Amino acid sequence: MATTTPADNRRLLAPLQDDPKLAAWVAVGLFLFALQAGAVAHFLTGLVADLLGIFPTAEASNSVLGRLVGLFEVAQRRAAELPTLLSRDVVPNAGHWNGDRWVGTFMGFSPAVSWGIRVTLVYAYAFTWVVWAVLGYRYYREQYRVADWTPRDDIVDRFRSHGWGLFGATIVFLFVVMVVFAPTLGPTTVEQNMESSYDYETTYWNSETEEVETILTGEANLNSKSTGDQSRVMPMSYDDFGRFHPFGTLPNGRDLFTFIVAGSRISLVIGLLSVGLSAALAVTLAMTSAYYKGRVDLGTVLLSDAVMAMPQLLLLIMLITVLSDSWVGEIYSGGFVLALIFAFTGWTYMWRSIRGPALQISERTWIDAAQSFGQRPWTIMRKHMLPYITGYILVYGSMTLGGAIIAIAGLSYLGLGVAPPTPEWGRAIQLGQEYVNTGSWHISLIPGLLITLVVTGFNALGDGIRDAIDPQSDTGTGGAAGRGGGA
Amino acid sequence: MSRLRYLGKRFLLSIPVVWLGASMTWFIIFMGPIDPASRLLSEGQLRNPAAYQAAETQLGLNQPPLQHYFDWMSSLLRFDLGQTWVLYEGSSVNALILDFLPRTLWLGLWSVLIAILIGVPLGFYAGMNSNTVADYVASLGGIVWRAMPNFWLAIILLAVLSTSPVLFGYRFEWETLFVSIDAISGSPDMTRIDTPDGFVAATKKVLPAALVLGSASMGNEMRIGRTAILEVRNEDYVDFAKAKGVSGRLLVWKHIFRNALIPLVPIITSEAFLLIGGSVLVETVFGINGIGQLFYQASVQGDLPLVGTLMYVFILMTVGINLLQDVLYTVIDPRVGLEGS
Amino acid sequence: MSRPDGSTDRTPGREPLLSVSDLRTVFYTDKETIHAVDGISFDIYPGETVGLVGESGSGKSVTARSLLGLVDEPGVVEEGTLEFKGEDLLETGWAEYRGDLSIVFQDPSNALNPVYTVGNQIREALAIHQGLRGSAARERAIELLEAVGIPDAPRRVKEYPHQFSGGMQQRAVIAIALACDPDLLVCDEPTTALDVTIQAQILDLLDELQREEDLAILFISHDMGVIEETADRINVIYAGEIVERAPTERLLAAPEHPYTEALLNSIPGRTPPDQRLPTLDGEVPTPDGPAESCRFAPRCPVAVEECHETPPDAVAVGENGTDHSAACLLAGESEPEGEQ
Repeated sequence: MATTTPADNRRLLAPLQDDPKLAAWVAVGLFLFALQAGAVAHFLTGLVADLLGIFPTAEASNSVLGRLVGLFEVAQRRAAELPTLLSRDVVPNAGHWNGDRWVGTFMGFSPAVSWGIRVTLVYAYAFTWVVWAVLGYRYYREQYRVADWTPRDDIVDRFRSHGWGLFGATIVFLFVVMVVFAPTLGPTTVEQNMESSYDYETTYWNSETEEVETILTGEANLNSKSTGDQSRVMPMSYDDFGRFHPFGTLPNGRDLFTFIVAGSRISLVIGLLSVGLSAALAVTLAMTSAYYKGRVDLGTVLLSDAVMAMPQLLLLIMLITVLSDSWVGEIYSGGFVLALIFAFTGWTYMWRSIRGPALQISERTWIDAAQSFGQRPWTIMRKHMLPYITGYILVYGSMTLGGAIIAIAGLSYLGLGVAPPTPEWGRAIQLGQEYVNTGSWHISLIPGLLITLVVTGFNALGDGIRDAIDPQSDTGTGGAAGRGGGA
Repeated sequence: MSRLRYLGKRFLLSIPVVWLGASMTWFIIFMGPIDPASRLLSEGQLRNPAAYQAAETQLGLNQPPLQHYFDWMSSLLRFDLGQTWVLYEGSSVNALILDFLPRTLWLGLWSVLIAILIGVPLGFYAGMNSNTVADYVASLGGIVWRAMPNFWLAIILLAVLSTSPVLFGYRFEWETLFVSIDAISGSPDMTRIDTPDGFVAATKKVLPAALVLGSASMGNEMRIGRTAILEVRNEDYVDFAKAKGVSGRLLVWKHIFRNALIPLVPIITSEAFLLIGGSVLVETVFGINGIGQLFYQASVQGDLPLVGTLMYVFILMTVGINLLQDVLYTVIDPRVGLEGS
Repeated sequence: MSRPDGSTDRTPGREPLLSVSDLRTVFYTDKETIHAVDGISFDIYPGETVGLVGESGSGKSVTARSLLGLVDEPGVVEEGTLEFKGEDLLETGWAEYRGDLSIVFQDPSNALNPVYTVGNQIREALAIHQGLRGSAARERAIELLEAVGIPDAPRRVKEYPHQFSGGMQQRAVIAIALACDPDLLVCDEPTTALDVTIQAQILDLLDELQREEDLAILFISHDMGVIEETADRINVIYAGEIVERAPTERLLAAPEHPYTEALLNSIPGRTPPDQRLPTLDGEVPTPDGPAESCRFAPRCPVAVEECHETPPDAVAVGENGTDHSAACLLAGESEPEGEQ
């Protein structure tokens, strides 16, 4: 299996020669990928550099790790030079008015329109990928799959006619695209607008002197604050420096949209990581306890009851307090340890939900049969039990993700978890709290509405998948689904 | 009686749960990467080895870990909770809890009540009138309501209430409605709760917070209530009762609602214990001096021994709610205790 | 009374207790419209047992529910008349006749409300139909449990349904049905969920009660063996239509519809021991539109080309006035006996 012979290669490529439709499909895919190859390379090399940078010894530049990090950072810079379609350089929106026209924006459009074009392009691009994938799946189903019907087809068909689930899928799609293209979508970047705003300059048209002037971005921010009725930059408007703010500005003058887009990334990454980890824990424990039953099951019940007896949000606060100063607490602005803690505290809810199905499956005769052939327990669990509970994991995973997003926001509202200046939605709500009943109501309102929308989306997706997998099951999911420990 | 035996078994099972939870708390607090003794001291004191040793001795951390573990657990068992170090320095933890807990319980009680009194009837209504406009509105409302972050909802609600005269006309001002309260947010006055006036005032004070805290439960109870009604309505026994000639209100109350309550019991109790966690955020936003905020303050200010002790109190509360759920179960569903474990 | 299919099973001089005529029950789902009961007609006379037999999915249970006004959404009884004691139930509603028309469901564990004692559920019916309350109701409930053969009734009456075994539960259901003092008892597969030995006991019980109370019974089953033992007259239902009707002996002796014959062949005793039991391939089609051919034709061993083109009408095939009709183009022409 490990070595591919030329014959294998030929067999892999043969369909491409015989089937022009398939070849066209693959070509379209490659073309779509090529449009963004630079960004992918940039992301991957950056990821490796960041991962290596986690280790304590990487700080010293002469260590092996330090050199590797340096190597990947160079590679990242190289990758940044590769042309990509959807970048701020191709469709720039940061420009200034020079008295009679816009300079530096995309084709001389206003910054708002340029930004709008870029956002539209990003979503059009992502949508094209979806269409490409759907077409590919349909074609595979018609031409290549040996069976003309599998049970999964029914699931797909049921989901396709589930309006509520499709609504959820759409919201999740919009959100995921936002996460993936976060740096491209913002009218400015976190680096320029927040982290090192005093290292960058903003060129603008000074209407008093009627001249083009430059100012440090940090200084410009100070004059674009949203702090009440008088001084404010509302959604879909320009500040005094000709910068467009789709969601207005924060009380410190920074761009709320950029903040939110960057915050969506950390929310989803922590959410996915924590749900993934807790799902892995929950599935392992569910299968083991369902397989061995008896004392193993009882032990797991007690353990999960004990973890559940500590209210999740309080346990999170306690663990964050204890772990925040340790080295794991610093990875990814504290996001990594947050994900770990979530996994440790959250597996119980998911385990509760899949324990039932797992127990049912373990009662089936095919499990006994496999045992009688002398198959090893772990193999039985993986081959004969896992496939039947993956659906439930998807359902509860999707719903827990919504809860995790709420809980992460709640913690950062309290000032715990994701450390400033890394943007997080909860912190935007906290920043805008005192201005809610003033003219600057947008700061708290918009992130809150977005959280509600995204969480509703994930819950709806979960509902849709559940109904598609098991149309009979109507009863609600466990009490905790969709919520993060009451945050 | 088998039901009594069932309850006894549940009670016995809750003992190891409390023990495990308390042990985990001990491990996290005292064996974690943070030295609790050093967190208690100020910068200046840290440089003084004598002060450090004194703190260590008082926490009992100079003993071997196992000895410390047994001491800590036994003092928890005897409710000898010691004193605070940083927060309200030197006061007895027992007294502190007795002072803070009633406010949280008051808040929790009202949020459970609000959730039940609004969520369940709405859900039942939606279920009885399934696939009507009212059903869709109620269902969608419940789903969205459930997805809103509590702390955000609290902020928005506070803003709405504080500008209520502007928003709803000058006749409606939350602060002076029914009884005057000193401020929209803040702690309820629990001392005058036995007088009718004091009762209304204390209730009004926590009502907005309770509404927020109960929001998630309300949405959930509505959802589950709706599906429960839909399921029960299709049961053969409802048709059989109809065929028997049971009709109207008797059919709905005796044969549909009673059975639909069964799946709601675990939801209501599990939500009740989610409230304990949510109380931290809601108490912070509304400025209620409850046990949740005490916990948060203790964590932020580094009074780790107090954090551990409070966690023990929360564990007891959760386990208590779970036992209450079992009792409710045996009352409402005669099958409990006979289906095996 | 004339029916669309021109048939009549009315005996002069006797008034039917229930006369079903051209009953149509339709289910409207998002995707399709299912004609679960598609124009069924039959009569039930006081004190007799009428059988309704067909495979699962043929519309038997929907018929039973339609008779009692228990069709759940998205089903609607669209057409027809249900004349009970001279009144059309579809017009008057069931309210006044509740109890006169009682039902026994297939699965007794679902038919009993799990959160009330068996006694409570009997007394509920007694209060409504016999005005009995308090100790009188309690005594009567115990009597009824004894009547349906539940031992130790004074203790059992205080127990919950889940404390009863399946057979006992079905007896309790029958006791509740009797508490309503019915004239007609619809038994929808009353023995299917039970063990074979219990089945026989329940059948005996029903038989006994029928004699004592002068009950009319509509007995619904997929099992021709059970039906032939209990029913005086048999209606064979296929895909929402009655394909053959006849008195029991006549039907057993001379089935005219190939589907009836297939059902009869499935009774173990009727096939010589050395042969395999003949089986019918395929499933009952879901009637999602008006019939454009014989619905049984795709599975019929003797279908001719015409069967796939014209829906057959019920024709009288009875000799010397026997009430026997079959909806088959071949009925009466050839002898179905002796076919493969």
